[in-house]
Amino acid sequence: MDSLNISRHISGQFNEDLERIINLVMQMGGLVEKQLNEALLSVSQADEELAKKVLSNDYQVNNLEVVIDDECTRVIAKRQPAAGDLRLVMAIIKTIADLERIGDEATKIAKVTLESLTSQHKELLLNLDNLGRRVLECLQLTLDAFTRMDVDAAIKIHQTDEKIDREYEALMRQLMTYMMEDPRSIPQVMSVIWSARALERIGDRCQNVCEYIIYFVKGKVVRHTTNEEIKKL
Amino acid sequence: MISVTPTALADSPNKIDLSNLSPEQIALNINNLNLYYGEKQALQNISMAIPKGQVTAFIGPSGCGKSTLLRCINRMNDLVDICRISGEINLHGENIYGKHVDVAELRRKVGMVFQRPNPFPKSIYENVVYGLRIKGENNRRVLDEAVETALKSAALWNEVKDRLHDSALGLSGGQQQRLVIARAIAIQPEVLLLDEPTSALDPISTLTIEELINDLKEQFTVVIVTHNMQQAARVSDQTAFMYMGDLIEYSDTNTLFTTPTKKKTEDYITGRYG
Repeated sequence: MDSLNISRHISGQFNEDLERIINLVMQMGGLVEKQLNEALLSVSQADEELAKKVLSNDYQVNNLEVVIDDECTRVIAKRQPAAGDLRLVMAIIKTIADLERIGDEATKIAKVTLESLTSQHKELLLNLDNLGRRVLECLQLTLDAFTRMDVDAAIKIHQTDEKIDREYEALMRQLMTYMMEDPRSIPQVMSVIWSARALERIGDRCQNVCEYIIYFVKGKVVRHTTNEEIKKL
Repeated sequence: MISVTPTALADSPNKIDLSNLSPEQIALNINNLNLYYGEKQALQNISMAIPKGQVTAFIGPSGCGKSTLLRCINRMNDLVDICRISGEINLHGENIYGKHVDVAELRRKVGMVFQRPNPFPKSIYENVVYGLRIKGENNRRVLDEAVETALKSAALWNEVKDRLHDSALGLSGGQQQRLVIARAIAIQPEVLLLDEPTSALDPISTLTIEELINDLKEQFTVVIVTHNMQQAARVSDQTAFMYMGDLIEYSDTNTLFTTPTKKKTEDYITGRYG
């Protein structure tokens, strides 16, 4: 947090405003991480209660997004942040939008647990486990990098999204084979595909957050650029 | 589908490359300017090129030398006995501190407006034509035309056209400041120096003057000193940040206010302890 230099404003109230916003973002990140973790657990343990809990807790994530949005708007109106402060507020506004969507993806995953799958198809869900663990780790590392505004970590995480994509593609091929072998399984396999898709999207959103970290620290927009260009930073 | 590159969106239409200005683009070229008040050095080796037809802002904390630098541009510091200057300021390639420069003629080319409106205790009309009369212009029709043009350029015409012969002191602060700007531009200067022109005005008058500055740059090169950073961000194309007599950072305003390169600049514009 020291790398942000927040506490050095002449206006103590501005310090407090920014600190409060950052704490809320941490809180939101922690909540989203918990939601994803529990969604994945509910799938692997076929725990319907846990899945329901994930669904019912999504409103908390949404609420936090609205609250943080509001606080950021107020800071812009009252303090006219510039330079690093402005980039911080912009990065936060964008990050919470992605966190909120990650929360939505977690509920999509939890919904699969509630579908009545045959035992044979439950085995399919095991395939999600690996991808799920990798994505959860990616989210944890991203939130950690955000907390420290660690640009090196952000660049590293940004590069690992390729691995998630490759794993997702491999899983897709496998699931398509199931569908071809037994067309009756298509509805069940589809729901597994949706969860896999949700996980892959979470990986992309983590990548977005890493881009915002790079923007805040370096002042460079790296969206829609190649990995090579990001490495050059 | 229309493709817009990110850089095309980020750049303002007025953006120019400060590090690579052609001689035609430069209004003022400041080279190694040093200024001393007695023993104390107030400006240290300032070098910068101020582009033509644009608004350049000087910002920085009190005592950083920004007003001193502005006053150098029309040799107002000549009036200070203990002031010594080395280096040069070139206007059209000619050093304004050269031996044969006529200071009155220089100040005709480089007009100045101060923090507090200072109209003469005369009519609105006489205030505007003051410079022209000194130049010896007495043709009524020429003067009338100059008054109308200058007041229109200063966005004051509609408010005063029916009372041109009333005293200028009866105008509000914001109107007086616009009158002073009209007086400065009536003699068609090339450069207009504004030393905190809105610090004594209310927010609405301030916005009117800011709007006016934006219109004026089509005809003049504008250099403005302001304490109000948001104002510099709003009105200027280039911003120079000064600190303790040094020019710390000089770049296009969009860059300076979003991604400054120097830590001192960042600390100042974000309101942090130095």
